[in-house]
Amino acid sequence: MIQRLLPLATLATLFIALSLASPYFLTYTNLTSVVRQTAVINVMALGMTLIIIAGGIDLSVGAVMAFSGLLGTMALEAGWPIPAGVALALACGLGWGLANGLLITQLKINPFIVTLGTLGIARGVTLIISDGLPVHRIPKEFSFIGEGNLLGVPFVLWILVFCAVLTHVLLEHTRMGRYAFAIGSNPEAAWYTGIPVAFHTTAVYAYSGLLCGLAGMIEASRLMTGQPTAGQGYELQVIAAVVIGGGSLRGGEGSVAGTLVGAFIMGLLANGSDLLGISPYLQQAIIGGVIILAVAVDEVRKRRFT
Amino acid sequence: MLLELRGIRKRFGGIEALRNGNLAVQGAEVHALVGENGAGKSTMARIIAGMVAPDGGEFLWRGRPVRFPRPADAAAQGIAMVHQESLLAPHLSVAENIFLGREPRLPLGWIDRRRLYQAAARLIEEHRFPLQPDWRVERLNPAGRQLVEICRAIQHGSSLLIFDEPTSALSEAETVEVFRIVRQLRERGMGVLYITHRLEELRAIGDRITVLRDGETVFSGPLAEVGTEQIIRHMVGRELAAIYERKAQTPGEELLRVERLTRRPALDSVSFSVRAGEIVGVAGLVGAGRTELLRAIFGLDPVESGRVWVAGREARIRHPRDALRAGLALIPEDRQRSGLAIRLPLAWNLTLAALPQLSRWGFLLAERERQVCEEFTQRLRIRAGSLRQPVGRLSGGTQQKVVIAKWLLARARVFLFDEPTRGIDVGAKIEVFQLMDELARNGAAVLMVSSELPEIVQVADRILVMRQGRITAELPRGASQEEIMRFATLHTQTALRGNREAPTEEETP
Repeated sequence: MIQRLLPLATLATLFIALSLASPYFLTYTNLTSVVRQTAVINVMALGMTLIIIAGGIDLSVGAVMAFSGLLGTMALEAGWPIPAGVALALACGLGWGLANGLLITQLKINPFIVTLGTLGIARGVTLIISDGLPVHRIPKEFSFIGEGNLLGVPFVLWILVFCAVLTHVLLEHTRMGRYAFAIGSNPEAAWYTGIPVAFHTTAVYAYSGLLCGLAGMIEASRLMTGQPTAGQGYELQVIAAVVIGGGSLRGGEGSVAGTLVGAFIMGLLANGSDLLGISPYLQQAIIGGVIILAVAVDEVRKRRFT
Repeated sequence: MLLELRGIRKRFGGIEALRNGNLAVQGAEVHALVGENGAGKSTMARIIAGMVAPDGGEFLWRGRPVRFPRPADAAAQGIAMVHQESLLAPHLSVAENIFLGREPRLPLGWIDRRRLYQAAARLIEEHRFPLQPDWRVERLNPAGRQLVEICRAIQHGSSLLIFDEPTSALSEAETVEVFRIVRQLRERGMGVLYITHRLEELRAIGDRITVLRDGETVFSGPLAEVGTEQIIRHMVGRELAAIYERKAQTPGEELLRVERLTRRPALDSVSFSVRAGEIVGVAGLVGAGRTELLRAIFGLDPVESGRVWVAGREARIRHPRDALRAGLALIPEDRQRSGLAIRLPLAWNLTLAALPQLSRWGFLLAERERQVCEEFTQRLRIRAGSLRQPVGRLSGGTQQKVVIAKWLLARARVFLFDEPTRGIDVGAKIEVFQLMDELARNGAAVLMVSSELPEIVQVADRILVMRQGRITAELPRGASQEEIMRFATLHTQTALRGNREAPTEEETP
């Protein structure tokens, strides 16, 4: 149990340390900006949590996010109402997720390879459609998603809370969530037990795709552009958030709360480095170190107990 | 004396694989090592080859005590092993495989391919093997692969060659070929340790025999002086530690009926039926097709032909899900690998097959789930600290009960057990039998595959004996172990006619 709380304790320590180290840290402006900055990674990490629990991996999240954001903003540029644009982005994400899931389960190809492939395809198609150029003519009201406030709280935080609760319920209180744990923990036993493994694996990738579509619109709203090059390298941050939060790449382990903590640990590390004037180059190295440390601690714990 | 083992002991976790292993092999003899599945033959072989270290006992090589910490140390002394499962690199050629890791070198570490192929050709020529040095190993049949293994083993002048179940993957013609080579090696003065459980082979090849039973050497002597019946008695004749009495009862309606189930080469037109309240045992040696039979019924492997009825209705089972719906349950041999999600909590494992009944609109009914978990842990006396404990931490016997409970929760009526007592201690064994008995008394049909003959004799109402994918006998309660063993090992008329074309996939012991 103590080890379960380790990520949370790390987050708290980081929070206190940064409040002491920088007078700017504990301000409304700074904290809301941390929330806004981490929202995109956070939302995608929720979907990734499910995938990793089910024993998979999805490298295509960043590219799918960019694809969805681009198509969504192009729809807005073409005069679609904002909800319709968001819906299109969600549909795009869902489509890519389904494609990933079907390729993995029907062709029985390793998810690492499949999603590495769809990463390339999604990114390439995005660049072809946009001709490499960002979409700029977007209605001003669209910025509300990423930059607006509702009841004094950033709107993205409401989105994040909604998605987190949804994912938590899905994971802990539905058959689909339970099957995800079973498939990730021991796919052979799941198959022997008569669980429709292919269906549920596909569903998990589709759900993650949906969240990537949403993340694409959040990112576009924050930047007020549809960037075909958005989200490059996000897959690694997303996976890192899940893993720091206690998710295991062997499958069968992970939680929504853990992933949120993991994503915020990375957000605070980035924010703290900015405030303390640590170079962004060193930042990357620090985050890399934290990932290895988090997993190492987890492994040592497991070895001691089993 | 080439090799002498005295009082060798070896434990693997909670299982004592060898308690008192004695063996003496001379040069220029073929020494047969026989025993039931799990008697400790392979462990002994692996100790000799330096693959595992013994816990105790004396190990003499050419009269001097030795220790082989690594396989390479045994190889350096002239001990080589031809493995049960092929350890060849399938994409490399015959020559490359023979000299793998010992290739002739040119300066700068380059491999001298010309010398490599010449040396291989010489070796093959010398033994008149039907091989070519440049053939790719993946194209070879099992016998060909075995010849490559033999080449590799003798290539650096070994004086003791160990064969671990060499013919289990071979057809009869291929077996004859391997025997010819084994005799040839003996004539060159090599000692050959030949592990098998096919008794009919022994006469053709062995000089002396050592019988292992429950990790102990129970007999050793010249093969010519013992009869086959006597060997079988040595193999099975153990006093039972576990006393278990089962009262037979009148069986009810037919719950499982299998007709002409065929999946070549593992299963050849298998037909039988099991009625409610019955426990039917399936006996046979490793590779006889017993596990394959359960897998085929349960939809884990596709079948070529044959039909299955469950409770009077024909069931088309192509997927374990169909089996689950039809009311079948499979308790696999390897619980950790295919029966349980060992890192997940006890409760989740218990309800995994029954979630459709424990959820509404896809949402789990937590309270009902907790209730049934408590009900079933009590009913099956599953001892665990809490329902949230990972099942991997529970004892083997308790894990077995969790698997059974999982299927009971899913309302299964036909239970297929594959080696239900493997890896669990005596007390837990009796409990598992009581559970099976309870299942039967509550109207379930039980089909039990076991390599433990005494257990089958004690528990089963009827016994099916399999050999080479066929049922060779159906024996009533009270059949002796010797009788079962005879049908399981000896060639019957039907078995002789059914000459296999392709090798069976071996169950790993």
